[in-house]
Amino acid sequence: MSDGIKRRDFLKVVGAGGAGASMFGCSTQQVEKLLPYVVPDEEITPGVSTWYTSVCGECPAGCGTWVRTREGRVVKVEGNPDHPISEGALCSKGYSAVQGLYNPDRLTSPMVREGDDFRGIGWEEAEALLAERLQGSGGHLFLTGPMGHSMTELVDEFLATVGGARVEYDGLSEAPLREATRIAFGRNVLPTFDFAGSRLVLSFGADFLETWLSPVEYHRSFARMAGVDDHGTKGRFVFLGPRLSLTGQNADEWVPLQAGAEGVVALAMANVIARDGGNAGPYQAFLRAYDPAAAEEASGVPAAEIEALAQRFVSEGPSLAVGPGVAGHHRNATAANLAVLILNTVAGNVGRTVRLDTVDQASAARPFAELRAAMAGMDRVGVAMVHGANPAFSLPEGAGFQEAFGAAGFRVSFASAMDETAALSDLILPDRHPLEAWGDSNPRPGLFALQQPAMQPVPHFDSKQTGDVLLSVSARMGRDLGPATFFDFLRDRWRDIRPLVTADQSFDAFWRESLRKGVVEMPNRRGDAPVALRSPDTPLIFDFPALDGDGEFTLMVYPSPRFGDGKHANRPWLQELPDPVSKMAWHSWVEVNPHAAERLGLRTGDVVAVRSPHGQVEVPVWTYPGIREDTVALAMGGGHTSYGRFADGNGENVMALLSGDVEQPSGALLHLAARVTLEATGERRPMATIEGSSDQHDRPIAPAVSVTALGHGGGGEAAEEGEHGQGGHGELKEIQALGGFAPVATEGKPEDFPLEGSRHGQYDPEENPRWAMAIDLDKCTGCSACVTACQAENNVPWVGEEQVVMGRDMHWVRMERYYETVDASHSGPVDVRFLPMICQHCGNAPCEPVCPVYAAYHTPEGLNAQVYNRCVGTRYCANNCPYKVRVFNWFGFSDVPEPMNWGYNPDVTVRSNGVMEKCSFCVHRIREGQNRARIEGQRPVRDGEVVPACQQSCPAEAIVFGDIRDPHSRVAQLSQNERSYRVLDALINTQPAVTYLKKVTFHEVQSGEH
Amino acid sequence: MKKPWVIVAATGAAALLTLAFVQSQEGEPPPPVQNATTVQPIAFPHNTHAGDFQIDCQYCHFSAERSVDAGIPSVASCMGCHTVIPGRNSPEEVQKLRDFWQRGEPIPWVRIYKVADHVRFPHMRHVAADAGNLECQECHGTVEEIEVIQEVDQPLKMGWCVDCHRENDASVDCTVCHY
Repeated sequence: MSDGIKRRDFLKVVGAGGAGASMFGCSTQQVEKLLPYVVPDEEITPGVSTWYTSVCGECPAGCGTWVRTREGRVVKVEGNPDHPISEGALCSKGYSAVQGLYNPDRLTSPMVREGDDFRGIGWEEAEALLAERLQGSGGHLFLTGPMGHSMTELVDEFLATVGGARVEYDGLSEAPLREATRIAFGRNVLPTFDFAGSRLVLSFGADFLETWLSPVEYHRSFARMAGVDDHGTKGRFVFLGPRLSLTGQNADEWVPLQAGAEGVVALAMANVIARDGGNAGPYQAFLRAYDPAAAEEASGVPAAEIEALAQRFVSEGPSLAVGPGVAGHHRNATAANLAVLILNTVAGNVGRTVRLDTVDQASAARPFAELRAAMAGMDRVGVAMVHGANPAFSLPEGAGFQEAFGAAGFRVSFASAMDETAALSDLILPDRHPLEAWGDSNPRPGLFALQQPAMQPVPHFDSKQTGDVLLSVSARMGRDLGPATFFDFLRDRWRDIRPLVTADQSFDAFWRESLRKGVVEMPNRRGDAPVALRSPDTPLIFDFPALDGDGEFTLMVYPSPRFGDGKHANRPWLQELPDPVSKMAWHSWVEVNPHAAERLGLRTGDVVAVRSPHGQVEVPVWTYPGIREDTVALAMGGGHTSYGRFADGNGENVMALLSGDVEQPSGALLHLAARVTLEATGERRPMATIEGSSDQHDRPIAPAVSVTALGHGGGGEAAEEGEHGQGGHGELKEIQALGGFAPVATEGKPEDFPLEGSRHGQYDPEENPRWAMAIDLDKCTGCSACVTACQAENNVPWVGEEQVVMGRDMHWVRMERYYETVDASHSGPVDVRFLPMICQHCGNAPCEPVCPVYAAYHTPEGLNAQVYNRCVGTRYCANNCPYKVRVFNWFGFSDVPEPMNWGYNPDVTVRSNGVMEKCSFCVHRIREGQNRARIEGQRPVRDGEVVPACQQSCPAEAIVFGDIRDPHSRVAQLSQNERSYRVLDALINTQPAVTYLKKVTFHEVQSGEH
Repeated sequence: MKKPWVIVAATGAAALLTLAFVQSQEGEPPPPVQNATTVQPIAFPHNTHAGDFQIDCQYCHFSAERSVDAGIPSVASCMGCHTVIPGRNSPEEVQKLRDFWQRGEPIPWVRIYKVADHVRFPHMRHVAADAGNLECQECHGTVEEIEVIQEVDQPLKMGWCVDCHRENDASVDCTVCHY
């Protein structure tokens, strides 16, 4: 793929009218025009992708990206393999950036308020208006979300000339962790965590696979620890918290710890370790008060259990403890985070798995309290400007943002699409999307990355980069800041970065290298600062936090893995993406333990009123065994009112249940501070879920093997012996031409596939590859990045809530999730199985013989192909598919509003209604690889050269694709692994090309339990 | 037990196919290219350029060896020669080109060759790799002798492609072109 990358010095101006863009139009007119470039763009070859490095702007983690463009249009975002944070992967939110760029609800021009409405105006008028207002009485406010360092500097320079203050607000800020780090070590930084280097990880409610700090990076790191290695060993993960998030579902053991008890349990563990010789520094005496017996009394976790866990935390090291995160931000969250840091220190983890970089970084994880202070003085603010934040939506009503914002003299929003805060403004100056704007990021001390525009601004929207607006407005006010554009400003800032990174490169060479690679690092950035615990300078309470109200249930409000705090709710891909935990799309739900639900007479789908002392929402119940009986949980991000057609009215804004108070001393917004009641409303609603069943019903879909059985031949398909026939595949049978079956002798080796005699279609093993995939379920975490990556790559439509309810969702990858062992009543093993189900490309495919028009057939390369132009939509194939992976386009789901069609991948046919479709093994990428191999001197395709979108996206590195007939290929070797099996193959002889590797558990897998 | 089912299925399929066929007959648009529509904005004589002056096809169709698309020359590419060459036979046509250049406008050429949207034809595989000795003329006719390009006699239909693939021992698998 690197062959296709081109260097980009700066954005070239494409010739008049986006010339060349219509070369692939699907015009129904008979006469089609071919528009050449007036002046050719040296970076663009029609029909060949051009890639640009950039930075993902969807969350503050700062993953590096490669942006794929065709004929000047962005068509896909992928991870930059050279970037140390993302290492080539991205999450679903990152992939959805394309839908932010082409979102039809973006603003088409600047707008000014007229009564209750807005009127579109030109940029000249808009900037003049802002300049005029800023000339007025000083004391302006610039409220911003997390920004790159150059933009931060520009805003500060701008405010220095016009008079005002900058306040940063991040709805998902981990301020308590930062404050705890300051108290513990005297350092004003967020630590970084090395999961891969650990053998035992404890999470006290940190959802590091979903939303906590840097999910993609920690995902990869975690999977490297948790995946079983060649020696049959793997790291262990214990989750302590009231609710199994996706992170919790990936744990080996679960201590269903009551929310708020993290501090006492962590301290009791530290007490045990300190007693046995660990060094707690100034906390040595303090820890004595927290012995396991006291912790048992406070938390309900048996003292023996705490003692054992503490001893394992040392003996099974290197170990690592993290948490709690946003969902656990209760009144003593800083104390809880400090307790976890003390535990890490006592166990000797600081400097090993918990690292503090040498350089402090000022702008990370600002607390809500800073915004609250600014809100208190809002009536003295002349112009309140909001950029990259939507506090009118993401703060609880009780925080009073709406009233405070209304008190400002003049309100300006830099939102690129209308949102709840922009709707309250007097002037809206639409910003560019990160994919069409300059910027930079500094996600770690000493790590710098450039965000470069990958295309010209989408012409439907008359937008302007906020940095350019600030420069232009200050020039209008006679206070020129120097550079004419934000690009010049940014490039100047990077002159200061060069000497940190390189001594001998000229700036121009450094700049080009930075753009080409996308990221630069200070040579010594990873140096560890020597740290020791300091005596606390702040009084802290480690006990149970107080909760508002006296309802029956503790309320947990957690950041959605799909929407964060709601920022991503206007992306239909993310709305349609089934939540990794609940498998529900589009609407909200409240998670209730089945025993609690039974007590209240509630079933899944019953709409209940959830009431806290601060507010109420009505949502359907979803019974979930992975939550404590005394706790209910709701995800943030739903219930928008002014955020475009894809967000408005879907779900409920659960922030209504919170008070808006802050935690002391960090100043973070309280997320876990109320008790609620549930009351049935008597209504039921259909749930937009893709979950057929959470139980495997004794079918060998996602079997597991215990770690002790590994290496004894117990993991492989032989383990199924006696249950599903003899040996690996049972007795394999071929279909005879005239019907009936005949047995075939095979040992199940990859080169045996497809089996002799089963050559339906045109499969020709003599000279062709047999494309195959291996998926390691011990690494797969169920994060569902592959689902969105596949959707982006293959032009897979979304269908909407109503159609999902009817089971007409069209994803080509279905992330299945089965509970095996999930029990919230006591500590013990937890076992949740994930399985990405795609077309299995069966060697003996049930879908193929039933197609009356031969649209489904087998190719010479072993693909189960679907020829769209042959398909007449009988749907026989879907009925006959035992894996339920064929999806049908019932209506014109591919007809998307302009300009979303700009994001379609031109290498993949856009299917119309009435056509069956399914995973193609990314056949277009296979062809691309073959074409490249042929024009590069007729060489063979190399192993690993063809990478399907799902494999490319996987942050856990669980997926491998290749030619199974090449015995040296990775996929052939993995398919011979002792853990390998093929889903349902032993029962129905489908001979899939997808080999799964069983999950490895620490507990014994019971006979009969798969 | 099986056979009646097969017959039912086959009958059903046949009915569906007939239906599809009838529909396509009724709704079929006229052939995509008609002579009247091939009037180009500039009367570009391929015979003069490719024939008389022996300019290689890929001088102008620059990406045929490395892309699925052969490439349409940019206006700047035309002006590379026509800045100094006024046009021996029809200087007024060259003037049109210069006018486009002056205005900074692309030339709206009328498309002659187009395979259906569900077909993927990678030029580079035919020009550069497997069929390295395949001349452009095989599909596009004797361009060097034709003044006004028209679609060659063979329609761009699947049978025509498949015949050639068979003759040359190339794959006739559906997903070579349809995906």
